[in-house]
Amino acid sequence: MATNVATPLYQQLTAEFEAARNSGSEAISALRNNAFSFFREKGFPSIREEDWRFTNLVPFLDVPLEFTPAPVSEEELKKAVETNLIPELDGYRLVLVNGSINKNLSVLPEGDNLTVQPLKNISDSESFRELTRYKDGVGGNSLVALNTALFSDGYYIEVKKNAEIDKPVLLLHIYTCGQNTFVQPRHMLVANPSSKIELVERSVVLKQDSVFVANSVCEIVVKENARVSQYLIQYNQKNERWLNYTHVNQARSSRYDNYTVTLPGSDLVRNNLDVSLNGTTTESHLYGLYLVAGNQVTDNHTAVHHIHPNCQSNELYKGVIKDSGKAVFNGKVYVEKEAQQTNAYQQNNNLLLSDKAQVYAKPQLEIFADDVKCSHGCTIGQFNPESLFYLRSRGIGEEASRKLLIEAFAFDIIDKFGNEAVKNYVRELLYANL
Amino acid sequence: MLTIKNLHASVDGKEILKGIDLQVNAGEVHAIMGPNGSGKSSLASVLAGRDNYEVTEGEVWFQGKNLLELSPEDRAREGVFLAFQYPVEIPGVSNINFLKTALGEIRAYHNLPPLSSKEFLKLAKEKQQLVSFNAKLANRSLNEGFSGGEKKRNEIFQLAMLEPKLSILDETDSGLDIDALRIVSNGVNKLRTKENAFVLITHYQRLLDYIVPDIVHVLYDGRIVRSGDKDLALKLEEKGYDWLKEELSVQESPIQ
Repeated sequence: MATNVATPLYQQLTAEFEAARNSGSEAISALRNNAFSFFREKGFPSIREEDWRFTNLVPFLDVPLEFTPAPVSEEELKKAVETNLIPELDGYRLVLVNGSINKNLSVLPEGDNLTVQPLKNISDSESFRELTRYKDGVGGNSLVALNTALFSDGYYIEVKKNAEIDKPVLLLHIYTCGQNTFVQPRHMLVANPSSKIELVERSVVLKQDSVFVANSVCEIVVKENARVSQYLIQYNQKNERWLNYTHVNQARSSRYDNYTVTLPGSDLVRNNLDVSLNGTTTESHLYGLYLVAGNQVTDNHTAVHHIHPNCQSNELYKGVIKDSGKAVFNGKVYVEKEAQQTNAYQQNNNLLLSDKAQVYAKPQLEIFADDVKCSHGCTIGQFNPESLFYLRSRGIGEEASRKLLIEAFAFDIIDKFGNEAVKNYVRELLYANL
Repeated sequence: MLTIKNLHASVDGKEILKGIDLQVNAGEVHAIMGPNGSGKSSLASVLAGRDNYEVTEGEVWFQGKNLLELSPEDRAREGVFLAFQYPVEIPGVSNINFLKTALGEIRAYHNLPPLSSKEFLKLAKEKQQLVSFNAKLANRSLNEGFSGGEKKRNEIFQLAMLEPKLSILDETDSGLDIDALRIVSNGVNKLRTKENAFVLITHYQRLLDYIVPDIVHVLYDGRIVRSGDKDLALKLEEKGYDWLKEELSVQESPIQ
């Protein structure tokens, strides 16, 4: 097995897979078998791979891990929901506990515009194979393969054709963790033609000192003319390690907006956001804001695939790194030969606040069409001492001046948020964590 | 109000100020003139607390307090204001939020409650009128997209809002056309009282046509080499700094 990760974890994963093998339908079993043999062969990603050069998973996985969540009382869950709501956010709410939908704690719209059901209802059926982007369960990616092999449940959300969900849906994932735990959540959202939905997603782990590792995969299908906005607010705790894959498939004339905010807390957050523009006049907007502190690692890998003509993508990621924090940004933009009249923009700006803070930024554009407008830019800098002095010379204290300047740096990301409640909430979280 | 005694300061080990003595009293306007590189802006920077300057000798007392021991923000809170030669653009910090924060911190330092939003906006409007600064400030970032003249006028507007005791204007006249110069000068004249004082740092006499100083100092090679009334500025304008340099070398040669 090609890996540096502790062998016991592989043995555990193999045992876990063998135990669950053949428990589902024939279709899913074949997919899972294929996925697991891929994972068994490839192992966890290593720093020898280009996409993992700057993030070494070994230290984050080098603990004994269990696969069973800790029991939790309804009271604890209620409390967890209450403390993790977004103030001012008037919307629906879908609560998942350890990947399973909890209907009692959820508040969903009446009628049939929005269908919410456990993913396992779908994953056992033939239609899953049609919907998923990974026809082989792998997509050339060993973490996706591991997830396909081992996932048990997640959400399946479907928005009816022509339906506009009138209020945002807060997706609250609650995980319970007694022993060190490794989970494989798997989700899917399908926005049917000309539908519209806004999601605000966050996760909370109920645990003491134990280690929590998530290897999560979410597939989003945005059909013709549909519009999906997705806010990910990643504000977690020490000893949490998150590996997130979000794969978006966009059909003609659809629009997808992603806002990913990562605040200090988790040991590791690795976000993989992969967007395919599978039709003409498609539009994608990706905004990211990361604040990294302590010894944390925040790694954002994004990929935008322009395949058809007349599409537009716009990406802006900004990061503030303090203490001994480490950030990685990798933004791939592919413009294929057919994708003429593409507009693709990418920008990544980083602010380093300490001598030990690190950032690894890598814009990566591969353009094969000749009639396109594409640009990318990347900056890594420190505070402008003159700006700081200017503020202080007007009586604003040093701390407050720094905060003002960091806020100013983050401003043009938060300003893009269409949802005012989320905007205010993120601004406050940011301010509290400076 | 301000007493500077034998002030020496250096940047990167190079001595820029070589023994400055200056006394500024309430109600006075002082002009500090001098050729390029004489240390005028350095003096302003040292007084405001810019941290790349190292004070190697001397004292600065401001209203009974040792100014050099205070942080830049505390100097501002005590009532020292530096109008920048090159005001900084800070995208993302709104003009209004910035001023409100500054005023709030200064008031808090003096145990005063913050102004309500309504009171603050009313005050801002009054002061904008007072200094004829009609740039739209709401929803605009600090100095961002301001012309050179607007930036300088924003400095005077901030001065009007924060009501310092001692204002140091570092080449506020540079880069201003004659109309802007008049507007800025009128603003300053309206803000002059018996209780506050101004130090104008300038290359040119023309600012002093509009703001009439009580005392004019000439700074040369890190020292104040001549002080006089406003006629000294006129003489400088007429004869240039070379006249002074020659006189000085004549004076100094016997000592060598």
